[in-house]
Amino acid sequence: MTAWRLWPLAGAALGAVLVGVAACGGGGTELLETRVASGAWTWTLPAYFPQPKVPDDNPMSVEKVELGRFLFYDKRLSGNGQQACAGCHHQDKAFTDGRAQSIGSTGELHPRSAQHLGNVVYHATLTWANPSLVTLERQMETPLFGERPIEMGVDDHNKEAVLDRLRTDTAASRYPQRFAAAFPGEAQPLHWANVIKAIASFQRTLISGNSRYDQWLSGKATLTAAETRGMNLFFGEKAECFHCHGSFNFNDQIVHAASRLVETPFHNTGLYNIGGTDAFPEPNRGVFELTAKAADMGKFRAPSLRNVEVTAPYMHDGTITTLEEVLRFYAAGGRHITSGPFAGDGRANRLKSDLVTRIELNDQEQADLIAFLKSLTDHQFLTDPRHANPFGSN
Amino acid sequence: MNAPILKIATLSAATAALVAACGGGGDDGPQAVTLDFAAYAGSAPVACGTAVSGLGSGNVSAQIKDFRFYIANVKMLRADGAEVPLVLGADDDWNITAGSDTLTLVDLEDASGSCATGTAARNATVKGTVPAGTYVGVKMTMGVPFALNHSDYATAKKPLDSQALAWSWQSGRKFAKIELTDPAGTGGTWKSNTFNFHLGSTGCTGNPASGQTVNCTTPNRMDFKFASFNPSTQKIAVDVKALVDGTDITVNQAGAAGCMSGGTDPECLNVFKALAIDWKADGTGTGLPINGGAAQTLFKAVAK
Repeated sequence: MTAWRLWPLAGAALGAVLVGVAACGGGGTELLETRVASGAWTWTLPAYFPQPKVPDDNPMSVEKVELGRFLFYDKRLSGNGQQACAGCHHQDKAFTDGRAQSIGSTGELHPRSAQHLGNVVYHATLTWANPSLVTLERQMETPLFGERPIEMGVDDHNKEAVLDRLRTDTAASRYPQRFAAAFPGEAQPLHWANVIKAIASFQRTLISGNSRYDQWLSGKATLTAAETRGMNLFFGEKAECFHCHGSFNFNDQIVHAASRLVETPFHNTGLYNIGGTDAFPEPNRGVFELTAKAADMGKFRAPSLRNVEVTAPYMHDGTITTLEEVLRFYAAGGRHITSGPFAGDGRANRLKSDLVTRIELNDQEQADLIAFLKSLTDHQFLTDPRHANPFGSN
Repeated sequence: MNAPILKIATLSAATAALVAACGGGGDDGPQAVTLDFAAYAGSAPVACGTAVSGLGSGNVSAQIKDFRFYIANVKMLRADGAEVPLVLGADDDWNITAGSDTLTLVDLEDASGSCATGTAARNATVKGTVPAGTYVGVKMTMGVPFALNHSDYATAKKPLDSQALAWSWQSGRKFAKIELTDPAGTGGTWKSNTFNFHLGSTGCTGNPASGQTVNCTTPNRMDFKFASFNPSTQKIAVDVKALVDGTDITVNQAGAAGCMSGGTDPECLNVFKALAIDWKADGTGTGLPINGGAAQTLFKAVAK
């Protein structure tokens, strides 16, 4: 099966050809991948990936996705023209930035670590701990327009000026033409709602499902002995990683086209317990920041572990540097901070998830788990030209 | 307007405007109401660019940095206690009517001086019509009704399109944005440079299947009423001194800088007292008006 390589750079004509191929498929060929269409877009997915959910008011199209890619990589989209979305979301790092805490367009340090964007179309809630952000379109308003912290720095004063930069563009991006093609029938398509729709559409194409683990699932590759032992630990009752990282996307918040009721769990993993009060440091107290409910202290969304090898440093605040340390943290059932302003024994945090308990994992087992986690790296995703910077270097 | 006591008219809004415009000859036509708002500190008017003294527990001076808020669902009160909705005019930059909800953005800053991040355009009034009659008081809500609060900023109609009043962390809006800053700027002596008051619903949850915001545990909409109010001789003062009464606005003990409606933010304790909204230090406050906002101190009726 060579469908992964068959899939061309986005182009309507080639897309149509592929749809034709898909329609002819099944002639005795083993079905290892599915092609799922939504509007004028077709995803090529592993058979165990559900159909992505697309909002009714933002159907997919080749033109919109390509426009979104240009916008995602365009620094002119920030208030001061200094930073693109891609400034904190680098493809080679699964669209994280390698920093413990990201830095916005005006130089402001973000309290949290940029998340990876692999399979973001399936996330039921967005960002680290926000039950109210349930669509990519709404989520994007935070980095674009947020003031605390400032990320892209678009505000009432510059939001028209930013659009004017795009309206007058005659370079490679050719925005006026691209907006017209992406939003046919609109007399004035170059406005913020469409900027957001296009970027969201691009994000919905960021599918990562071709790691060696996926290839093994599809019978196209083998796992090493260490990876296999690690996988058995991962999905077993000893390490219990799967409780929060058990879906096809290695997390526990999934929404897809057929979803009706969606669970959106958040977890306290015992990362902090300041002074034995269960507290996490401000302004990173998880869902508590939104609800003020004591039980929500330190509760964050379990991130997808796809491509986790390249998304260091780890945790919402980037305070764990390596995968080896992450494993030791979970084996200990929390983090004991012995000095400084955040001193406290996270292992004893009373709000900690009952799924995070001390587990006996010897060095070999930890190494095996890491070997398995590294089999989740999708090198094609990290280099796929369809997701790459259309301006060249940026 | 000193309209005589008349029967309730049943004219359409369009006709109403015409009748109001003709004035004088009105028999039973709807009557126009204009509610004027003004920024105050105690008994003195305040404005962007002029230091305001005597604020907070430290009795300090501050500059106004922002002064905007949404007013919803104004009702004129009759002597018998009946509540009559104020019908807004056509939707415009400041006003919108959606279903049974009416909403006006009151903007008392003008982007001058310390308010540089604001907008030059101001709106200090809520205008509308009610059936002709005698009205003795007024009630309203500072806030954005739920049905309008969680709309998309990028596609929302005016006045819900203000980016400054977007509140993306709760997928809603700031109902009020009143900010006070160190008069000496960033080189001043305040330990926390700006005291921000942002009112909004918290504890909001979305439904990933529908993509909609479905619930907020803590609404934080402020109801208030003047049992006796005459719009032709009185205006509504928004008293920033009362807002920060008992709060040291130069420090931030915890949570967001100032009070951004955080359920456990210590700077919200006295602020929410002024709003008469249920708030408790342990985060268990309901965010509902206490006794209809009877004890609120932020809004006062003063002579024009």
